[in-house]
Amino acid sequence: MALNYLASISRYVPELLSVVIMVGLIFIEACYDREEKKKPFFYLAAFFGLTFVFVNLAASLGKPATMIFTGSMTIDPFSTLSKMLMVLGTMGAIYLSKESKDIYDNLKSEFAIMAVGVMIGGMILASANNLLMVYIGIETLSILSYALASFKKDEERSSEAGLKYSLYGGISSGIMLFGMSHIFGMFGSIQFADIIAGINGLSTAQLAVLLPSFIMFFAGIGYKIACVPFHMWAPDVYEGSPLPVTTFFSIVPKVAGLAILLRVTMTFFGQEGALQVTWVGALSVIAALTMTVGNVSAIGQRSVKRMLAYSSISHAGMMMMGVVVINELGTRSILFYAITYLFMTLVAFYVTSFVADKYGNDHFERFSGLIKRYPMMAIMMTIVMFSLAGMPPLSGFVAKFNILGALLSEKHYMLALIAVLNSVVSLYYYMKIIKLMVLKDVESMEPIMGFGVMNQSIILVLTVPVVALGLFWSGIMRLTEGASIFLGP
Amino acid sequence: MNGHSNLLNWILWMPMIGVLVVLLLPRNKEGAIRYTALINSIITFALSIVLYMKFDPTVPGMQEYFKVLHPWISQFNINYSLGVDGISLPMIVLTSLLCVLCILCSWTISKSVKAYFALFLFLQSTVFGVFMSLDFFLFYVYWEVMLIPMFFLIGIWGGENREYAAVKFFLYTFFGSVLMLVGMVALYFVSADNPSIGQNTFDILALSGGKFTDLSLRLFGVDISFAKFFFVMMFIGFAIKVPVFPFHTWLPHAHVQAPTAISVILAGVLLKMGTYGFLRIAFPIFPQASVYFADAIAWLGLINVVYGALCAMAQTDVKKLIAYSSVSHMGFVMLGLAAMTVQGMNGAVLQMFNHGTSTAMMFLLVGILYERSHHRWIVRPDGTKGYGGLYTQLPKYSIVFIIAMFASMGLPGLSGFISEALIFLGIYQKYTTITVIALLGLLIGAAYLLWMFKRMFFGEVLDDCKSYTDMNAREIFYMTPLIIAVIVFGIYPSPILNVMKVSVGNLVSLLAKFN
Repeated sequence: MALNYLASISRYVPELLSVVIMVGLIFIEACYDREEKKKPFFYLAAFFGLTFVFVNLAASLGKPATMIFTGSMTIDPFSTLSKMLMVLGTMGAIYLSKESKDIYDNLKSEFAIMAVGVMIGGMILASANNLLMVYIGIETLSILSYALASFKKDEERSSEAGLKYSLYGGISSGIMLFGMSHIFGMFGSIQFADIIAGINGLSTAQLAVLLPSFIMFFAGIGYKIACVPFHMWAPDVYEGSPLPVTTFFSIVPKVAGLAILLRVTMTFFGQEGALQVTWVGALSVIAALTMTVGNVSAIGQRSVKRMLAYSSISHAGMMMMGVVVINELGTRSILFYAITYLFMTLVAFYVTSFVADKYGNDHFERFSGLIKRYPMMAIMMTIVMFSLAGMPPLSGFVAKFNILGALLSEKHYMLALIAVLNSVVSLYYYMKIIKLMVLKDVESMEPIMGFGVMNQSIILVLTVPVVALGLFWSGIMRLTEGASIFLGP
Repeated sequence: MNGHSNLLNWILWMPMIGVLVVLLLPRNKEGAIRYTALINSIITFALSIVLYMKFDPTVPGMQEYFKVLHPWISQFNINYSLGVDGISLPMIVLTSLLCVLCILCSWTISKSVKAYFALFLFLQSTVFGVFMSLDFFLFYVYWEVMLIPMFFLIGIWGGENREYAAVKFFLYTFFGSVLMLVGMVALYFVSADNPSIGQNTFDILALSGGKFTDLSLRLFGVDISFAKFFFVMMFIGFAIKVPVFPFHTWLPHAHVQAPTAISVILAGVLLKMGTYGFLRIAFPIFPQASVYFADAIAWLGLINVVYGALCAMAQTDVKKLIAYSSVSHMGFVMLGLAAMTVQGMNGAVLQMFNHGTSTAMMFLLVGILYERSHHRWIVRPDGTKGYGGLYTQLPKYSIVFIIAMFASMGLPGLSGFISEALIFLGIYQKYTTITVIALLGLLIGAAYLLWMFKRMFFGEVLDDCKSYTDMNAREIFYMTPLIIAVIVFGIYPSPILNVMKVSVGNLVSLLAKFN
């Protein structure tokens, strides 16, 4: 069912609202000349607006899936849920940027504005139903990200991050565009629906010719998810960017990238055949490599931020496992994984950020004896670290369990083994933090400013789902059950 | 018996209530915290005795009367399902008994008392969870959660090298258990295809009975037997816990670094979780693969017996010596399991219980000595004696030590003898060579224990040892139940053998079908 233009707009409200928020924030930013006066109202507007978008999205979760703007975008429960995650991730990052010292005060409002912009790109990407929308989504997402990466203007590392990000981004979009134009050349259409119809009529030889263009198409997406071998930019960008930006990068672009990867895989390669076998084969290798490389690289890190960044690569690899299986359970497990991952990442980065603000760096030793000074925070961080590693009964375990279930339901035994062995590796470096926090003696008893009552309670609230979803996950899985339905071409 | 009982629920959650109470008490009320923990564990022990009394030893398999079943995650057919049979009952009683004694033995802990007892009770609850779960998912959750309190208990209250030991213990076990996880999820998805199950399930009882013998799986284009592949996966998972050679390397570190009470729980209960895993999961679910790999298990068990004993002989640290003797004694359990005969299996389960009491005694005694001497060297690294003439200095202590040592050695009349004799009876016909070599292991066992005893207790009283005081009332009090246990069950093992006989027989006859 495709809606006409006017009717389409009614389903496009969240995106439009986000644009209004972005423009509105620019106005607020421009209207005040003094930072202190502006701050409360600015953030009030930002959070209020984003909450409104979130509620709007949540309200449309139950509506039937549909295509809008002559089939160029799909609004289905899956895309809506991904968008909700992105909105939450953006809110989390904006709140962190408000509290963090890693972003200069005069740039904080810029961060919020750009983050909303990136989020809009991600939302477009999650709904994209033709090649052009994919490209527009990726570019909207990327261009603002380049600026975000180089946010610390006077720091070499940050500029390096921005430059690296944009160079890699430019190249991979170029490759993707090339692949897309090839696909377009073959089928004469950019609509996913037409392409699928075309694929079904192709011979094996023709498919063989087509496959490289899909791989090139994948380069653009893979770059956004930072999966191996398109991950080279990630460590430097994550390291060079300010902490809130890193937090943001490890959530929003990843969710968007996975959403489109899943959609492309499910629509183009949903049917069994030679094409699917090749695609699945390639994706499994990439997913396994992504997980392993991310994990192994995380082991040797000194900086917690860098460790978390590398581990986010490996988590993306884990989520890609859910793509490989091409079934409903896989889709649902990715969504569940992304939901829990959002909360875990936010808590981990919040705590890291506040500790790093105190000492000026985020080396592992800075966490020594945290339990003596801030027992609550140390316990929350411990819970999250165990959860990230996949210890039951925490939600991180359930997420991995679901992915594992999806893999084994399709009899991917080897991938399942690689996945669980990786979680053993990851436990090692997550445990380093726990070990320092709980077992080591404290370095100094100086208070950490970031751990005010407000921030402590926010971290506490964010940890609740990490535990609760580990014990009672029927509800969320039922939610994803509805969200896994794809609108056919 | 008709009706229904929530006793298992009470036993499982009673320590958790204790955790809550301990957490609510203020940090500086150390006495109140200790007594809360003690009273709590005594109540739990009393409940487990009630369980033992009400247990009907004539029923094979799980006792309907005690079953607890609530849906947990209905979408995946995961249930909160508890049960007890003759194999888990001795373990539950052993756990609740040792926990009371360990809390008494931890009376002298002074560092973060509140956290210690909260974690300890939490650990107790998770151990019960492992022994009671009838749902594989629940079992796995408890199996893993148990690592968290253990990690902190070793890591915070342990010896000098505690962090290394805690991390090694945690990673090792986690490695093993994720392999088990893969097997568990794979079983869930193949169970629906099995006509006798008909739905995806984690129910251990439904999965049991050798229903997956014909399945195969493809790995790198090669067809492998499903049962054999996942039996090996689970074997590694459980073997790390036992620990079976070559997965034993975490054990000496963890045991030596852990505080006394935790060493006792580790050796007395946690190692049994590994062999319990074989009895409850690996053997019943994959009986054919178990029979297929029986030879390998027997040989590994033999290596455990001999290698563990030889390692123990070479130790100069008395706690490490006891730790390696555990490796050796758990080897006997493995031998009994590999026998797959009625005597062998009964012997193995009895040995699980008896080793729990005797090794707990040894560790407690080493702990008592350590509190006086603050070292554990039989021979110090510089070659001088660490202890000497303890027999003259500590007469009461020495008598208890002798009982513990002989029980551990397997002297007739004490508990170790019966279980080891049963195991040998069970395996002799099937593995004669192994039996003969294992008897040699028994001999080495006697040698290292007696040699240790000679070096520590006889000879001149060292100057350092002159200040040591003999066991005080509290120490005697918590050693008494164990002394009674090793003597009584050495003469009259029927109270344990009777409850497990039928359940073990059940398992043996299942395995016999595939022999």
